[in-house]
Amino acid sequence: MGHNVYLPKLARIIEIKEEVSGARPIKTFRTNFLDGDGFLYRCGQCAMLSVFGRGEVMISISSSPLVKDYLQFSVLKMGRVTSALHDMEVGDVLGIRGPYGNSFPLDEWKGKNIIFAGGGIGLAPLWGLVHMTLGNKKDYGDLTLIYGSRTSKDIVFKEELEELKKRMPVHLSIDVPEPGWSEFVGFVAQNVMDKKLSPHNAIAITCGPPIMIKTVIKALKDLKFEDEQIYTTVENKMKCGIGKCGRCNIGRHYVCKDGPVYSWAELKKLPQEY
Amino acid sequence: MEIPKILSGEMMDKILAKKDFPEWLKKLEAYRVYAPRKQDDVWNYEPVSGPGNVQLADVMTAVPAKKIVFPQREYFFEFRETDDNGTKLTELLPEDNPVVVFGVRPCEGKAVTLTDKVFSGEFEDPYYWKRRNATTLVGLACGTPPSPNCFCTSVNGSPHSKEGLDLLLTDLGETFYAEALTKKGEKLILEGQKLFKDPKPEDKKKAEKIQVEAEKKIRRKLNRIENVPLKLKGMFDSPFWDDESMSCIRCGICTYLCPTCHCFDMNDEVETTTPLQGKRVRTWDTCQFPDFTMHSSGHNPRPEKSSRLRQRINHKFQYFVEIWQNYQCTGCGRCISLCPVGIDIIKVVEKVRDYGS
Repeated sequence: MGHNVYLPKLARIIEIKEEVSGARPIKTFRTNFLDGDGFLYRCGQCAMLSVFGRGEVMISISSSPLVKDYLQFSVLKMGRVTSALHDMEVGDVLGIRGPYGNSFPLDEWKGKNIIFAGGGIGLAPLWGLVHMTLGNKKDYGDLTLIYGSRTSKDIVFKEELEELKKRMPVHLSIDVPEPGWSEFVGFVAQNVMDKKLSPHNAIAITCGPPIMIKTVIKALKDLKFEDEQIYTTVENKMKCGIGKCGRCNIGRHYVCKDGPVYSWAELKKLPQEY
Repeated sequence: MEIPKILSGEMMDKILAKKDFPEWLKKLEAYRVYAPRKQDDVWNYEPVSGPGNVQLADVMTAVPAKKIVFPQREYFFEFRETDDNGTKLTELLPEDNPVVVFGVRPCEGKAVTLTDKVFSGEFEDPYYWKRRNATTLVGLACGTPPSPNCFCTSVNGSPHSKEGLDLLLTDLGETFYAEALTKKGEKLILEGQKLFKDPKPEDKKKAEKIQVEAEKKIRRKLNRIENVPLKLKGMFDSPFWDDESMSCIRCGICTYLCPTCHCFDMNDEVETTTPLQGKRVRTWDTCQFPDFTMHSSGHNPRPEKSSRLRQRINHKFQYFVEIWQNYQCTGCGRCISLCPVGIDIIKVVEKVRDYGS
């Protein structure tokens, strides 16, 4: 019997960035393992974070595998464990298990135009992918990011997005008008339609709240994207992260192990229960 | 330890006189022994206090034998805050002490082969396997069905199935016909070697006759279910699930007491806060509770009890079949007998089978 799959590795928080404040705060945590070990993972994978005394939560890794200095997680304060995470400080120790799940099929996407469509904290699972593809830009066609949040105050990675605009098209949106907002107003799906994205030689990856994913997929279909050209990352409540505790299943698939990345061609065949 | 005479891997059939059974138990000092015991009219597998306290009979315990290898509560590790703003984790694996369970129903042995699959693979569960490897399951072939809701023969089982068991006893009246099925089973016989005799050909015939007759005594049947997995696929959005789940009071008994259900929760229990110290604990959980799948945002993929009954039936008769080519049901009938509102899995699956035809 080898390694205990339930025993987390200890890591220290080396940096915390407050991305969004207010009622739906988001913080980005950078961590280093205490034993100095690296952490081999692929774009799209997640890790189970432990706040000892509070429990565990599955969070997508928001740093790209190209980054070797730290492992990054961007977390919306929502439930018991994410609230406890938000109370943590630089220097505090948390537990990390993983990486878990499948990953984006980056090899299959070589030479293609890639569209990222994120909403709210749903940009976090795409963030590593954006930087991975940008870091290997010669392998891909045009890169485009569509990102929407409720208000301008809810935008994550704000400064990085401004920097990103210098390197690739970035189309932002907010749900309702605000004074001084010059970009799109409306939902992400509407922005996707508005930009008339071409399905030609393209892959579109969407992540966000369940309702956003469903509407963005519909918009992409209206723009004549094939099911095989549309990808999403699904999330469900998880406990074990390794396909045993039974709660994150969609049909025969356990999202923790068999997901979180699905093409719409695959996902549409499963029961629509997520 | 000496392993004499009998070659491992060979079938070892023996005869044990019932009067010698307590003597055999005495030889098993190294083991923690469990057997069905009746308390307040309910049978359960309990630790045996003395050799005279074990009576093997055709009874169905309320809680299945899975609790021995997959207990309702177990600790994973301890966490403790250290002086330097650090944390120390101490793994709490189960002990290696050998355990033997007597009176295991063949449907429960078969069920263990199913939980074995779930807890294996790329992410092997060390807690389950530590217990599983230390446990010897001694089955008792059912002479008469231990429950009026037994239907093992409808889900590829039988009242004398050997799957998952280490040793199978068949009650011949004055004696037990004992078949060692694994090395662990052999070892158990060897512990009381002198008490066991070689069977005569008529003993084997008698055992086989009892086993065949036992099958005939099973009243409940769930026939022609080969197409149920496919049928369920097409019924996902059917109002059928609303009707069938109407009476459910979401108590979760059907899953907690199912020998094949393996869903669990993991939580931290805090013992002291300064310094922080506590344990991570695994407990049984059930897909029948609304918060089982509820996201912290409040979004719930299975918000209605209809979607949760559908999950239970789909998991057992579709998803598990797709993954493991086995029904996740061994026909023990507990979920029928113990459901407080009379939801009957046989009737539900029959209705699925006949739906729309």
